[in-house]
Amino acid sequence: MKVGLFVPCYVDALYPEAGIATYKLLKHFGVDVDYPEKQTCCGQPMGNAGFENMAKPLARKFDDMFRGFDYVVAPSASCAAYVKVYYPRLLKGEHECLSSKKIMDIVEFLHDVLKITSLPGNFPHVVSVHNSCHGVRELGLSAPSERNIPPFNKIIDLLKLLKDITIKEPERKDECCGFGGMFSVEETAVSIRMGEDKIDRHIATGAEFVTGPDSSCLMHMAGIAKREKKPIKFVHVTQILAVGL
Amino acid sequence: MSTEHSKKAALFNKDREKTTWHDQTFWSVRMKHDDVAHQLPEWEALREHASNIKKHTITHLADYLETFTSNLESRGVIVHWAKDADEFNAIVYGILKSHGVRKMVKSKSMLTEECEMNPYLEARGIDVVETDLGERIIQLLGQRPSHIVMPAIHLKREEVGRMFEEKGISHEKGNYDPTYLTRCARHHLREEFMNAEAGMTGCNFGVAKTGDIVVCTNEGNADMTTSMPKLHIVSMGIEKLIPDYASLAVFQRLLCRCGTGQPTTTYTSHFRQARPGAEMHVVLVDNGRSDTLANPEHWESLKCIRCGACMNTCPVYRRSGGYSYSYFIPGPIGVNLGMLHDARKYAGNVSACSLCLSCDNVCPAEVVPGSQIYVWRQMLNSIGKADPMKEVMSMGMKVLFDSPMLYQTALKFAPFINRVPEQLTKIGSLNPWGIGHAMPEFAKKSFHQLWKQGKVK
Amino acid sequence: MEKKEFLDRLRANTREQYDMPDMNINGITYPDTVKQFVEMTQTVGGNVIEAQETDDLNALIRRAYPEAKVIASHLPGIKADRNPDTVDEACALNGTDVGIVRGEIGVAENACVWVPQTMKEKAVCFISENLVIILNRNQLVDNMHQAYERIKMTDYGFGTFISGPSKTADIEQSLVMGAQAARSVTVILVG
Repeated sequence: MKVGLFVPCYVDALYPEAGIATYKLLKHFGVDVDYPEKQTCCGQPMGNAGFENMAKPLARKFDDMFRGFDYVVAPSASCAAYVKVYYPRLLKGEHECLSSKKIMDIVEFLHDVLKITSLPGNFPHVVSVHNSCHGVRELGLSAPSERNIPPFNKIIDLLKLLKDITIKEPERKDECCGFGGMFSVEETAVSIRMGEDKIDRHIATGAEFVTGPDSSCLMHMAGIAKREKKPIKFVHVTQILAVGL
Repeated sequence: MSTEHSKKAALFNKDREKTTWHDQTFWSVRMKHDDVAHQLPEWEALREHASNIKKHTITHLADYLETFTSNLESRGVIVHWAKDADEFNAIVYGILKSHGVRKMVKSKSMLTEECEMNPYLEARGIDVVETDLGERIIQLLGQRPSHIVMPAIHLKREEVGRMFEEKGISHEKGNYDPTYLTRCARHHLREEFMNAEAGMTGCNFGVAKTGDIVVCTNEGNADMTTSMPKLHIVSMGIEKLIPDYASLAVFQRLLCRCGTGQPTTTYTSHFRQARPGAEMHVVLVDNGRSDTLANPEHWESLKCIRCGACMNTCPVYRRSGGYSYSYFIPGPIGVNLGMLHDARKYAGNVSACSLCLSCDNVCPAEVVPGSQIYVWRQMLNSIGKADPMKEVMSMGMKVLFDSPMLYQTALKFAPFINRVPEQLTKIGSLNPWGIGHAMPEFAKKSFHQLWKQGKVK
Repeated sequence: MEKKEFLDRLRANTREQYDMPDMNINGITYPDTVKQFVEMTQTVGGNVIEAQETDDLNALIRRAYPEAKVIASHLPGIKADRNPDTVDEACALNGTDVGIVRGEIGVAENACVWVPQTMKEKAVCFISENLVIILNRNQLVDNMHQAYERIKMTDYGFGTFISGPSKTADIEQSLVMGAQAARSVTVILVG
């Protein structure tokens, strides 16, 4: 099984440690993983802004770049979801989109493909899980609270493998934090208010860390928390999962 | 970088307490939805059926309309066909005029809002009296609905109470207890029901096979509206049609559970013909629905049953209020319906979505309004409504991301941005992100660089 | 607009056509339908009286509404001051304290009772301050799917499902019983 590692642009530039943790996790479980160096961005920022035509060349290149891999794994639920849900739309009429079927968020991959049952390491902290929207509603990392389907949460399943960890979820466990890409700069007032509400609910769990599969949500909340001096830290879920590696 | 919606939303958010209250009010309705949804093991099957029944009916609409109207006509109901709002208003006025009607009581109909019927009739001397309590309150205040199911929910009891005092509807000065105010409205409206010469209802569902007009209310105002006057006019958008009673059971079960979290509306009334000695008219309205039907990307918006669930769950609606949207229907479905109605006029609402897709999962008819907003955004540029700043940013990203070389060079220099003094990043016109966020820090070395240097292990 | 033109436009604008889905839905059922109906009726703000065979309906109604001065009904055997079958106008029923009608089907999942119009003025169902619905207990079903399989419309061409009293939450989401129609509803289960 050959896995292509996709480290989306902003993770690359701002949160390389999430990429490193992902690589470590994959290596730990003996996966043959490679990182195609010509990768950049999935194109979601342009698509969500209403310029998906500008994302088309990226989709073409992406599909081509990862052709030789069985899976494409990314430490970013939203970017993985964009490839999975929107690439077929972008490549419509050109050729069959392969990456859409191969793409997985790292949580999904560890949980569903590798089906891991143990992880070394302990994390003696209280964490509040941030169920990011696209992880929940496009990738199915947990059961959307709106639906009447049996509850599950793949992020929590994985975190539970660590010793000494205390896992919480905020009230309104999968309400949006208000990032939404271009939304956060276009609808500033609502976006910030959503972020503040979300941070407060995370803090109310008593957690020291907010963790989730999406660095973009974490970046948004961290930006607000830092500006408003709110007492909580943000860390990508892979960094916790790889704590003993 | 701001839109019509974002500007109004910013004003709304200035009142922090009211925003909190508005958010919590609608979140509690969303919670009630979840409770009743979880009481039915067949919930997801109902949603799927609702979607499929609507898809079928909408794509066989002309046939079903023929069955429906011949059933109605066989029992003496007079059917009218209105291609747009103007025709609709003229038809209604024509009926009222020929009956010498001066006062018409009316239960809730979003279609009449869509057609702006009330001002049209009022300008021609007809006293139109809304009888749903919320609708009546905003009518007396000269406002428009801020929500399609709970139209006056943005008002506090004091605002309603003071207006009732001014209008002579309530008499105990300073008594703003909702029970008291509701009693006062009951007395006030009872008089109107007794004196009106005509009653108008909307239509939640039209049943083709039987020719039933089905109207759902909690207050019983549609029934009061049609029980006394000798003339009943139904305003009905053609997308309200469903095939039969088996289909109706599906929608009846979903409508109120999604709308208010109740297991049913108090009244689910079926009208097949005029009551003894009375006359019944049904005005069928297209007003752009046939254009929607032909729209390959958005035709499924016609599945909407106007329950309001997408508004209640929408984190943006809850924190910006109905009046931040320029179309008369707010929230996720309102953004869509506004675009279908007049894309140029209502493009300013398309920003009101973080693409969280909660609405897609809550919608009883699987309209997926959130995913549809993504699609609407793609056409803004073609109608000249895209934000030029966003285009520049997207273009910049395209140039950067299309070239791995350029991208990697940028990564090398990005950490220098960390040195921009924080005060400078707060200038919103230069950096909208900085209005509420501290800047994220670029890593000293990107993943790319670390990988190249063999430091990823 | 002419009907033909209206429909032609719809036909011309219809693209792909979709089939009607199969309608096998497993609607919820309850181990004790009567119990569920009673509980749900109370949840929606209504009352239920489970009448015994020996009970006198008029006495039951009197006991439920001791203050009532004006009673309206067209049902045989029910003592009433007004008859919705014979009043000249619906408005003449205004001021009725208790209206008494017959329900045909009760639905356990949501306390809906199907009340078809069997009287000249259906206003009695709504204009009365309080409404009594007499319903046979063997006419209870579990869910709306079953109900819609059974309902029959009378020649009057009107029928309504009623679930509890008229209510509104339009002022600050505060629930108030008795908006425009009946302020209380009592279902008397007989048989």
